[in-house]
Amino acid sequence: MATLALKGVRKEYGKSVVALKGLDLDIGDGEFFVLLGPSGAGKTTTLKCVAGLEQPTLGHVEIGGLDVSNIEPNARKVAMAFENYALYPQETVYDNIAFPLRSRRYYREPGEAQSIIERVTTTLGINHLLQRLPRELSGGQKQRVALARVLVRPADVLLLDEPLSHLDAKLRAAMRAELKSLGELQSTTSLYVTHDYLEALALGDRIAVLNEGELVQVGTREEIWHRPVNTFVAKAFGQPQINLVEGEVIPGHDGPRFHGANGAVDLPMHGFDVTPGRKVITGMRPRDLVMDAKPGMAHIKGSVWVTEPLGRQQEVTLEAGGQHIAVITPLSSLAIGDTVTISVPVSRILLFDAESGQRIPAKDDAAGAARPIAEMEVSRG
Amino acid sequence: MSVATANPPGSEQDGYVSPARRAWRPYFLVLPALLLTIGILYPFVQGVIYSFQNLKATRPNPEFVGFRNYQRILTDNDFWHAAWVTAKFAIGATAVETLLGVGVALLLARNSKVSSFLERFLILPLMIAPIIATIMWRLMMQPSVGILNYILKPIGLGGIAWTDTPAMAMFSVILIDVWIYTPFVALLVLAGLRSLPSAPFEAAAVEGAGPWFTFRNLTLPMLAPYILVAVIFRFMDSLKVFDVIWGLTQGGPGDALIAIQPKAYQEAISFSNFSTGQTYMVILWAIVYLTTRLLISVLGRAQARAAGV
Amino acid sequence: MATDKPSQQVHQQAIPEAQGMAVAASGPAVDPDARPRSIGGIGLDLLTIAYFAFALFPIIWILMLSFKSQDQLFTTYFRFDPTLDSYKAVLGLSSTTESVPFMKYFLNSLIASFGAVAVSLLVGVPAAYAFARYQFKGANDMLFTLLSFRFAPELMVIIPVYVIYQKIGLFDRHLGLIWVYQLITLPLIVWILRSYFQDLTPELEQSAMLDGYNRWQALVKVVVPLVKPGIAAAALLAFIFAWNSFIFPFILTGSNAQTVTVGALAFMGGAKPRYNVTAAAALISLIPPLVLALSIQRYLVRGLTFGAVKG
Repeated sequence: MATLALKGVRKEYGKSVVALKGLDLDIGDGEFFVLLGPSGAGKTTTLKCVAGLEQPTLGHVEIGGLDVSNIEPNARKVAMAFENYALYPQETVYDNIAFPLRSRRYYREPGEAQSIIERVTTTLGINHLLQRLPRELSGGQKQRVALARVLVRPADVLLLDEPLSHLDAKLRAAMRAELKSLGELQSTTSLYVTHDYLEALALGDRIAVLNEGELVQVGTREEIWHRPVNTFVAKAFGQPQINLVEGEVIPGHDGPRFHGANGAVDLPMHGFDVTPGRKVITGMRPRDLVMDAKPGMAHIKGSVWVTEPLGRQQEVTLEAGGQHIAVITPLSSLAIGDTVTISVPVSRILLFDAESGQRIPAKDDAAGAARPIAEMEVSRG
Repeated sequence: MSVATANPPGSEQDGYVSPARRAWRPYFLVLPALLLTIGILYPFVQGVIYSFQNLKATRPNPEFVGFRNYQRILTDNDFWHAAWVTAKFAIGATAVETLLGVGVALLLARNSKVSSFLERFLILPLMIAPIIATIMWRLMMQPSVGILNYILKPIGLGGIAWTDTPAMAMFSVILIDVWIYTPFVALLVLAGLRSLPSAPFEAAAVEGAGPWFTFRNLTLPMLAPYILVAVIFRFMDSLKVFDVIWGLTQGGPGDALIAIQPKAYQEAISFSNFSTGQTYMVILWAIVYLTTRLLISVLGRAQARAAGV
Repeated sequence: MATDKPSQQVHQQAIPEAQGMAVAASGPAVDPDARPRSIGGIGLDLLTIAYFAFALFPIIWILMLSFKSQDQLFTTYFRFDPTLDSYKAVLGLSSTTESVPFMKYFLNSLIASFGAVAVSLLVGVPAAYAFARYQFKGANDMLFTLLSFRFAPELMVIIPVYVIYQKIGLFDRHLGLIWVYQLITLPLIVWILRSYFQDLTPELEQSAMLDGYNRWQALVKVVVPLVKPGIAAAALLAFIFAWNSFIFPFILTGSNAQTVTVGALAFMGGAKPRYNVTAAAALISLIPPLVLALSIQRYLVRGLTFGAVKG
């Protein structure tokens, strides 16, 4: 059990490649912390710096409040599951999992080791594979073996590098739920790397969004979802992606209005402190939008561009004033070219500055952050 | 504010390793090899120094003579003769070995029953010591016990004097070199053939390309880097030829096969003119070095082109 | 827990064969054994046989020559009464006193080659590992210095070494040979092993380090077992090249430390050359490299090209 902190960690490879540009993170004891970002964002480098497998060029890592810069990886009490599993190819599954328990540092009597391994492999459902070699396993099985090897011994910090990335969608959803229920993961400080926003939302006590070696935002899932600091974070969460429409704030008879997509998107801006003339971007999540004209909401008229069924729902893409807008609706018969109206719940609109991409806070920002996340409800169903 | 600032990381901590020790880690691993390398490098440097002296077995305290050795050798007909012999041998042997080696690789890549069976014997000549291989061929070329003239008699080629004339000696020495090293080229090119991606060939087959067109426009360009690696290795080794020539005729008849390295041997060991022999070697080394640089830049371009296919 | 299918790795094996067909320019890409044999196919097989006749005949003929008796040496070609006289002569078992102590040379070759490889392995394995895993100042300089040894003319070092050895008494000694053989064995071992270490993902040993092992234990327990075949192949190839070396022992040894390559040449001289004995000597001296080479055939291409071509 320990806290984990990164203090200004910068990592350069050679003279030209900067993988991390001064990362500051504070992770609480027992917290499950998710690091999300596209490939090349520096996620794996972050884990390796924590583990001591890479030495930061500048800055340092603290585990339990102690600077570990000069501590060898094997003495940091850190366990890591690698993205490529890093299973020892010449050893059986059992020997792979027992490997840490045979080291001087984590040594257990063979009998005791066996009972630990049995407990962990039963939980993970791989106790029938113990005599196999890694090459005889599927990707999902390898991933569970790698996880078992991490869980059999004590660790202050768990580092998990995209442990679900090589699984197919169905298995990934199942494993996501399973990971959440593992006691070891719930109680140990964990740093979990992924590029899948659903994993981040489902697992993370807190989420950090990383891009090109820089921290973009750190927060709870609700903060990240409802109050993304900029368009990059807004786009990183949600499938289909958030609809972003560029436009300008214009004066209206009941306060400022948003005018975008050649006038096809016209929204009231009374929830925001903006002055006319400002160039802005509005963000509307496809699952927040509703089909047909509903009272008390803003409306957008457009023609159906394309439809794609998603189980019991469908994704409808409208074309409005040269802009594509995606909506998730229940299945219905819509033909391409049909003219439709959609309703926008005004309180759900996100607003960004067009130049910097930074979010412009709403007047009731504090209230907004507490709302549940529509995306999560759907993915659970 | 961390505990670490109040209590700076010290050696009392479990698993402590000082930054200096971490920085030196690779050097510790390399150190023994480095010492050994210096042990080999020392004679190298010493050799270059010799070439600026007038060291002989009979003159144990040599003097520096500047570039006089180089001046003398580069204006000496003996050197230009040795260089000419070396060039003829290196170009002739490398050319034949490359052509034959590529041919053998293509034959073996067919994976027919016959070629799969024979492939396991491909490396045999290559693994025999060149000097032993030369002795074997010398036995075969012997006028009295030799088998070659007996075999060649039915096709009207009996009674060949394999090493009696300069031209025949050169032919024979290239023949032996070809026997030893063709498998080297074949082995490399075969490895190349077997690692070629199949997609372009499938595409060409679908497009209805003929075998010659496929070979000319797909196989050969993609194989070029492998062939060039083989050529580089073979040409470099041919420039410093010694074993085959010495084993066959000790450079004869006359000085017909005195290439640069045998010439240096004569000067340094037979006549004990260490500095003269060493000057020959420095010149040869410079030739090898410059040729390697040239061929490697050609290789780089070929690899780029092959990757672009 | 959802179940999933075991991984399949069988498919890949079929690919090289298909490629071989595609590039052989011998017609449509189908298995030659699955269709009636064409005239062209037989012709190409005959060409293959012709090359191998050229490549293998000398070895076979030398084998025959070595079994000929002195009486039949000059009078027979392919039909003769085989005897072991030549081998007895080479091995010093015959009644006639043998002027060339070939068995001693054989032992000398063994000692020098084995010693050279042992030294190179001892210093070369850690160095190759460092070159593969760490970036440090001077690494490239040292690698290219080693590579330049491979292409340097041997006499370039032999002449100074000859002078030095005469002075410090290493001339005609095993240790002297072991030292200069480093020129052959060390670059080979460092370069090949570096390429094997590079092929291995560093995450295996990183994982071992996090599993409680220190760097040294991670290297010994995880890395070395995985590159063992590579190490063995590099060591055997280095042994072959050291064994086959001629010019080093030719100049740097006298009667004491002389090797088979020099000794075999001695049989060719003399007033009354005995070609059958020469053949037997040649044959005995090529047995170790041939046997070793056949055992590492799979690794040969990479070894011969210093890792430039991964066969």
